[in-house]
Amino acid sequence: MSIFDTRPKFAVHVAQTDETFPCAANESLLQGMVRLGRKGIPVGCVNGGCGVCKVRILAGDIKALGPISRAHVTQDEECQGYTLACRVAPQTAVDLEVAGKLNKPFSKGRAESATASPVSQQQ
Amino acid sequence: MGVMRIGHASLKVMDMDAAVKHYENVLGLKTTMKDKAGNVYLKCWDEWDKYSLILTPSDQAGLNHVAYKVEKEAHLDELQKKIEAWGIKTVMLDEGTLPSTGRMLQFNLPSGHEMRLYATKEYVGTEVGTTNPDPWPDGLKGAGVHWLDHLLLMCEMNPEAGINTVADNTRFMTEALDFFLTEQVVVGPGGSIQAATWMARTTTPHDIAFVGGAKSGLHHIAFYLDSWNDVLKSADVMAKNKTKIDVAPTRHGITRGETIYFFDPSGNRNETFAGLGYLAQRDRPVTTWTEDQLWSGIFYHTGEAVPSFTDVYT
Repeated sequence: MSIFDTRPKFAVHVAQTDETFPCAANESLLQGMVRLGRKGIPVGCVNGGCGVCKVRILAGDIKALGPISRAHVTQDEECQGYTLACRVAPQTAVDLEVAGKLNKPFSKGRAESATASPVSQQQ
Repeated sequence: MGVMRIGHASLKVMDMDAAVKHYENVLGLKTTMKDKAGNVYLKCWDEWDKYSLILTPSDQAGLNHVAYKVEKEAHLDELQKKIEAWGIKTVMLDEGTLPSTGRMLQFNLPSGHEMRLYATKEYVGTEVGTTNPDPWPDGLKGAGVHWLDHLLLMCEMNPEAGINTVADNTRFMTEALDFFLTEQVVVGPGGSIQAATWMARTTTPHDIAFVGGAKSGLHHIAFYLDSWNDVLKSADVMAKNKTKIDVAPTRHGITRGETIYFFDPSGNRNETFAGLGYLAQRDRPVTTWTEDQLWSGIFYHTGEAVPSFTDVYT
């Protein structure tokens, strides 16, 4: 953990790759995910409109940071746990799977991740 | 005869208060009108018609329609015939369909985007008036943009399936609306695929642009600033307001514009830009960008690909 970021963090687990990244309660899952350093994590509008950071929450509590576009997450999908990573913050440890355009950067092997061992970044 | 300039854009927003705050405090537009449906109408200080931006409450982001102003009411009837003859159905919407606005000719571009043409909108004047005007008014907020300048539409393109609505739109705009091509991007074998175009009716390098994408949508709406220094200042304004900047101040090869891209609170991309590039004329030779130099065309200094710029839109 960086000495310039002392906020307490929750562990967020990505089901597809079994990676875990730390994420503070007042930042979006996407902000935390970007610190994994995986190449190609799509950071789009970060305002819930473009839909590139779709995830499905499998376990854990999240807090909404703002509205998400129904063009990208339907009511049904939201009931199944789908949301946009830029618009939710973890309130507990979270288990998620990436969806849509987030599948691509997470479909490559862990070895290709820019950070050698993201798990060690946990507090 | 025909189209003069871009008249307004109607955008879907997911949080109206946040959207109005953004367009007023960051861009510097002012709210001129609200209607019963909850739509908010805004204008820039240097514009003289009642509004150039409509924000409509929605559960998603994106473009409702873009409208261009034609010179005379009679042109609407003439253009209706031309558009129908080209093979596109039109509807003439009654005066008052939008407040303070005359009848509107409504149709969809080959890419599916809704376009409207109108000749009449309530005149309210610029903020400096017409008699001995100051060069700019006092009390401007944020970037203090002059006017809505153009928009870029992402247009469905799938060459393998024979779909290229960039080329279709470009042909339609040329043949039915008498726009002219200023710049284009060509890709594929021998540059056979027209993948992006910039088109004008005024003397600026683009009044509308089309870029190919997986599906049709809105890439950005752009507002005009005077100078590079104003572009820098508008970046400061965005930083102050915690606006998400997509592309920090730089220059386009295409159009030569000095630019910043950023997102409104619903994720609709905005641009503030300066530099009218060159005098766009009907007899000016068309500028062509090739596939290998495409990113220099888009971001001239780095010439490097920014995937979010082509993949992220509403």
